[in-house]
Amino acid sequence: MFPDGMIHRSSQDRMRYAQVLVYIAAADGALVREEIAMIEAMMGKAMMHPESRITVRSGFEQPIPLEQSLADLEPEFAQIMLRDAALVAAVDGAYDRKELTALRKIAKVAKVSPNQLSDLLDWVVEGWNWFEKGTDILVK
Amino acid sequence: MLPDTIHKLPREERFAYARLLAYMARIDNELTVDEMAMFEQRLGTALLSPGQRESIRAALKNPPSLEECLEELSGEAGRLALRDAVMMAAADGTVDEDERDALEDISEHLGLKEEAVEQLLNWTVKGYKWMKEGYELLDTLEE
Repeated sequence: MFPDGMIHRSSQDRMRYAQVLVYIAAADGALVREEIAMIEAMMGKAMMHPESRITVRSGFEQPIPLEQSLADLEPEFAQIMLRDAALVAAVDGAYDRKELTALRKIAKVAKVSPNQLSDLLDWVVEGWNWFEKGTDILVK
Repeated sequence: MLPDTIHKLPREERFAYARLLAYMARIDNELTVDEMAMFEQRLGTALLSPGQRESIRAALKNPPSLEECLEELSGEAGRLALRDAVMMAAADGTVDEDERDALEDISEHLGLKEEAVEQLLNWTVKGYKWMKEGYELLDTLEE
């Protein structure tokens, strides 16, 4: 939701970041509009070049394999991917089994334990709760 | 970054929403990288067409007046624009007087309660804390 320094990453890093998010969003089947909106938001937050975004969108129907995107990834960067992948996976409601499997694969690269992953998923729920409160304020 | 309803609005309303954010981004005649990242993030959420995005980016160079923005804004698009305008205004760490005045004008135009902007600012601070907790969580993730 807020600026997080992704803009300072290389264009290659940002491309891999977006490709992982696409993989996660597509893990439970075809991408729904909510997932696309979330990925577009993440690409915007990372201030990806418009042409890079077109490349990412071309993967909506056939995402880049997760293993390929995660290859030789430094754990610190994988942790950021894991955080945002957890946000994307949650956007259409509950976590699907395939989404969880993919999150666990990212967690492994990020050197994140299952308990720590669970904490991260709790943090996502807390974010949802916070966000919903913003809508309450907007009531006349 | 969380599930939102902007993408469900009619296309014209999403455009009006983004136009107001462009106005807010330029209100203090400075556009920080963080504000730009926030702006681009909200444009992404709005799922604007490439042509609309170009128009909105052009609006960053020649921002419309607040009155022009408000003429086209009402209902849900307006309320979401106010919410996100507050987050954008706070993106550089401070909300200056011009930004605060504009936010109050938008709130009044939408007929929201008097304390809405103050409450949204407090809500935004909580959001930053939540995000910070996410960073702290990542810091402790090393096994």
